[in-house]
Amino acid sequence: MVHVYNCHPFASQQIVQVEQEPGLLCSGGGVIFVVATGGCKVEAYSLDQEGCPLLCRFATMGTPRIIQYSAIGDYLVTIEDKNNATYLRAYTNWRYQAEEKSRVGVRMLGHLLRGASQRSVAQMEIIEIPLSERPVAVACCPVTGDLLVACEKTLVLFTLRRESQHNLNQLNPQSSFQNTQPSHSKKAVPNSPSNPNVSVLDFERSVILHIPGLGPQQVALCAGYVAVHAELEVLVVKLHSSLDPKTAEELADMNTCVDQGEDPGDFLVLQRHQELLGERARDCGVSVTIEKTGMEETGQYTLSFVLYRRFAPDFFQGCSVEETKLHSLQLHPMFTRNKSMQCPEEPSCVFCFFSLPTTGYLYSLRGGVELLSAYQYPEKVLRAVLTDDLLHVITKSALQCFSVRCAAVAARVEDPYIDTTMRACPPVSLKVCALRMQLFIGLRTMCALGRHVMLLSAADAEPPEEADRATHTRSFMEFREHSMLTDIFLALGIDPTTTPALESLLSRPFLSKKWAGSRPKAPSVTGHGWNLYVVNTVSPITLYHEMVEYSCRYAETHPMGESCRHLLSEAHLILRATLIKPLPTAKGEPRELPEMPTDGEKAQRPTTDAFTDSKAERQVMETAFRENCAQLGDCFSRGNQKDCHLALPYYRMSGLSITEVMSRNRPLPISPCSYGPGFVFYLNHFLLEETDQILSQEAADEIIDIFSQTEPSQLVTVCASPAMADVSPAKVLRRLQHLEQATGMSVPLTVTMATMSLRLDDLRRYTELMEKHAEMLLVYGFIEEPRLLLHGGSGGRDTQVRPTQLANQLRKDQPGLLAAAMVALHENNKVQLEQADQVFKELGCEHNLLVDFWEAVLVASTKEAIIQELLFRLAVVYIDRLTSGMAAPSKLLKSTEDLINSCSHYGTLYPWLRILTPASNTGSQQQEALQKLQSLLCGPSMPIGAVQPLLEQLSLGATLWGLSLHVLCATRRGQHGNCIEKLLDHCPQAIIPYANHHLQETYMALWWQKLLPELCNRTRAETENGILLAALKETLLVVATEISPVEFLELMPDDGTALYFLPHLLACSQRQLLA
Amino acid sequence: MSAKTSLLKVILLGDGGVGKSSLMNRYVTNKFDTHLFHTIGVEFLNKDLEVDGHMVTLQIWDTAGQERFRSLRTPFYRGSDCCLLTFSVDDSQSFLNMGNWKKEFVYYADVKEPEKFPFVVLGNKVDVAERQVSAEDARQWCLENGNYPYYETSAKDATNVAGAFEEAVRRVLSMEERTDHLIPTDTVSLHRKPRSASCCS
Ligand SMILES: Nc1nc2c(ncn2[C@@H]2O[C@H](COP(=O)(O)OP(=O)(O)O)[C@@H](O)[C@H]2O)c(=O)[nH]1
Ligand SMILES: [Mg+2]
Repeated sequence: MVHVYNCHPFASQQIVQVEQEPGLLCSGGGVIFVVATGGCKVEAYSLDQEGCPLLCRFATMGTPRIIQYSAIGDYLVTIEDKNNATYLRAYTNWRYQAEEKSRVGVRMLGHLLRGASQRSVAQMEIIEIPLSERPVAVACCPVTGDLLVACEKTLVLFTLRRESQHNLNQLNPQSSFQNTQPSHSKKAVPNSPSNPNVSVLDFERSVILHIPGLGPQQVALCAGYVAVHAELEVLVVKLHSSLDPKTAEELADMNTCVDQGEDPGDFLVLQRHQELLGERARDCGVSVTIEKTGMEETGQYTLSFVLYRRFAPDFFQGCSVEETKLHSLQLHPMFTRNKSMQCPEEPSCVFCFFSLPTTGYLYSLRGGVELLSAYQYPEKVLRAVLTDDLLHVITKSALQCFSVRCAAVAARVEDPYIDTTMRACPPVSLKVCALRMQLFIGLRTMCALGRHVMLLSAADAEPPEEADRATHTRSFMEFREHSMLTDIFLALGIDPTTTPALESLLSRPFLSKKWAGSRPKAPSVTGHGWNLYVVNTVSPITLYHEMVEYSCRYAETHPMGESCRHLLSEAHLILRATLIKPLPTAKGEPRELPEMPTDGEKAQRPTTDAFTDSKAERQVMETAFRENCAQLGDCFSRGNQKDCHLALPYYRMSGLSITEVMSRNRPLPISPCSYGPGFVFYLNHFLLEETDQILSQEAADEIIDIFSQTEPSQLVTVCASPAMADVSPAKVLRRLQHLEQATGMSVPLTVTMATMSLRLDDLRRYTELMEKHAEMLLVYGFIEEPRLLLHGGSGGRDTQVRPTQLANQLRKDQPGLLAAAMVALHENNKVQLEQADQVFKELGCEHNLLVDFWEAVLVASTKEAIIQELLFRLAVVYIDRLTSGMAAPSKLLKSTEDLINSCSHYGTLYPWLRILTPASNTGSQQQEALQKLQSLLCGPSMPIGAVQPLLEQLSLGATLWGLSLHVLCATRRGQHGNCIEKLLDHCPQAIIPYANHHLQETYMALWWQKLLPELCNRTRAETENGILLAALKETLLVVATEISPVEFLELMPDDGTALYFLPHLLACSQRQLLA
Repeated sequence: MSAKTSLLKVILLGDGGVGKSSLMNRYVTNKFDTHLFHTIGVEFLNKDLEVDGHMVTLQIWDTAGQERFRSLRTPFYRGSDCCLLTFSVDDSQSFLNMGNWKKEFVYYADVKEPEKFPFVVLGNKVDVAERQVSAEDARQWCLENGNYPYYETSAKDATNVAGAFEEAVRRVLSMEERTDHLIPTDTVSLHRKPRSASCCS
């Protein structure tokens, strides 16, 4: 369904004082160009000045058939006839032709020579562009000023060049052509200060596309996109200029494989509808080949297909087959603020529009070609023009204006956060609507520029009496307009008489006061039957306000209706289209001569006046935009539709506070419906988000009421939000009790109730509630709703977290539960290690519970990085506890035994450690720390390299526990010999258990290489030392079983102690014999 | 025909310095400027006038006579309706060169029937006392080359300038009447070949 609204996008009109009947019309650069029917003169009228005064008039060299203006380069290009020949010419510097009697220079393309520096007066100059074929149509690129010419079988692209006068003066006439290398011209040289306007335009033939058999009628060019249409076919390709000849060749090969040789006459072409998007368009049957022009510096061009569409005439009703022809082909670029700061010459979006008499088609080309909208016209359309904000079309008797979706596409290119919960924008697929139908008589043609629409009407085609009637009877016109609109409604399946809003809309006079206030629109009594009108559209903000006004009216009659939302969405896009545009330049919209975009000139500064003006204007627009977002938010929050989630991003974009949103959503006393799902969705999101904002008690209580009504099951989540800190706990408790009765008990619900009891200082009830569930279940409850324990932190790794009041209470009552819950949260990625540290610090238990937490995480974790980190941290803590002799934490959650049993990181203590550091040696707390540290060193995971430096600070051998740690480390590093010495020095009774445990396998040889000689030496010095002697004896026993008698003999000392060895030698020999 | 004004292209050819630019200026602006710039390449000026009841836009093309500018001017000979061959009566060489100018024009303008093409000959600077070319010699040349009308002009004191240009217009219009008579319908445009063949480049 096409919505038809009766907005007033047209503000006023002027009649251009043209003397002769205009034949050709085009506009650009603030100017309307008019060529009288059959005339040889171009008249330029200023659009920027009141009354559209004549700027200048200049003669053409032949009779123009087609005129086209390019704002870039400020040139007018014509296809003109003279003596049965057709010429293509570009008129440059035409603004200097204010008095018609100045001489006009003429030259061929590329023959650069003359110029203002020689004349000292700037002079109009005509460039004649020779072609080997007859030109049919032309187009100028709105981005680069390049020129595309369609001939019968080819499309020729000319690149716009700007030559500085300095270069030219050095050239002599004969060699000018050869010497004018593109390298000179590619970079436009800034204008010299003495003669600021001197620079000469030229064109360079850069690529020729052969398209035999298509028969082009119109072309368009924009940022490398080339569009061409024949009677019933449209083809869009993209030209890529590449300086890499290799890829170019490959692509060219690809291009030529399109079948070219087939004569369309050889087989019957089935006429049918066809739409081929992207590279699939290559199969369209139209052959396109690139001819290289040999201009090396322009690089090579390659081609990709973008779009092909074919129509079949007999499928269209209402128009005869002959009338069914394509027209109004247009490529429309859209620049947006952010993107154009990155690359000012690349439009963010490129749109392609073309039209049949009854339907117009708008495609978006960049980032994947896509049909945006098909415009169903109520009657045969003669011509259509797309602008950023609107589509204007003319029928024989009316100017109509449709909404467009360009801004919706551009917004998504500009902002990747659209279509998330952050930001929203009406969809590209939003149905287009007709905003206005304005009657005119005998419309012929139209062009548009910014907020101006130029219309040519000529009544002489009508029978004179009809023209007369139309001119003088306004009521007749109103009647016609009324019945026409009614027809449209009926055609769309709406009977206006059954819809009060439409009825009232249709009953209002169509020529509103806004319109009637301006000059009469019927042809003035000038005698001639034609008129050239300039119709100005209203400012976007005005149109926006009108749409909002209408939407309010719709809202009154159909509060849930689609129309209200649709109008607000349309209004949204009107604002967006303006807000998204790049900041205005000093000159205003058209980028025109002499500021051709060169590197230096791109960032034109707006003049201060224009700047402050636009700044103020922009503020107004932004305020309107926020207001619109709020209204759209209301629409989506109230409605019961599937798009209700859009309330969230729109409210966000509106900048409204939650309390403001709440007050907008309070149900009216009379209204039966309460809160909409969109509003509840918004609230849910708001409460889930970590904001610093704490709601007032009233607001928080209201939220509790809202959820009690709409989604009571969400109450637990709602209460867990930090924003709800000030909610009145008694009220919540009552609600939760109801909920419990209704839905049964659940852990989060019970814990939430416990939290509320805590806030009420009702410890007894708190304890009761907490005891309802086993600790394990409570842990699961915390995983389900971590915010029962922690606030903040949902923003990821670095965000601050705080413990809740409940967490504080658990620290006092159930520290084990708290630690277990924290471990569970950590292991479920609900909290980061650093954040947990913070929480325990804030709870004041970084010395005990935090360490318990670390131990528990170490036990539970499988992440290597976490394990390494915790091993180190715990080693530090244990050493700290050992050395500081600090007041020990009252109770440890896990003993060494527990840890050894529950994970591999804590190893079983070596037997010799019990001899070295028996349990009674230190205080029980230090004992525990020592054992844990020893156990870590006995385990496989502890990185010795990291702990070693810490241990080195401990004075060696001062204590036996210190010794034990050193020996553990040294053993881990394989320094067993060292350990043997240290143990013999300080604790010889541990040497044999140590040797039994560690001197195995590769270290076996140390028994006789290190231990035996050491013992021999030491017993010799201390002959009475029983411990040493016992050790020696044990050692000899081991050695005798491990080595051969010959080796044993080698070990025998020379002195008397050798006697001591003999029994062992014997044992050794006997073993040998047995074996 | 009533709304349309016909556009007539008239081209001034002749040696550099004979006074082509001065003649055009005199005719269009009725001024004589001794400090006129040298013409480089091609320029034109339009003048609207009524001749024998016809509204005509006369497009006067001024060219640079020097040899070195040839490549700049010759592309624009095509489509001319009339050619004004100009010499200076105080410069016999400029008179002798007229034949070459005519040849260059006929060649580059691609004139189908040179003998029927309207040329007008102008002997300029008649205000100068020391003549090198006599009126008789000039007339003789005109007679022998195709019976061209001959005008003795002075851009300096405006002698015969308007008359010469108006004669050019009259010549063209009389030619057109003949062709209009000969080809009453626009059958020409129905034939593709002559059109595309006559196309630029
Ligand atoms: N005495 C005299 N001098 C003239 C006349 N016409 C032109 N001149 C001078 O002849 C010189 C060349 O004239 P110009 O118009 O530039 O010749 P062009 O090269 O053919 O365009 C200038 O110094 C003019 O002042 C004329 O009718 N009489
Ligand atoms: Mg000259």
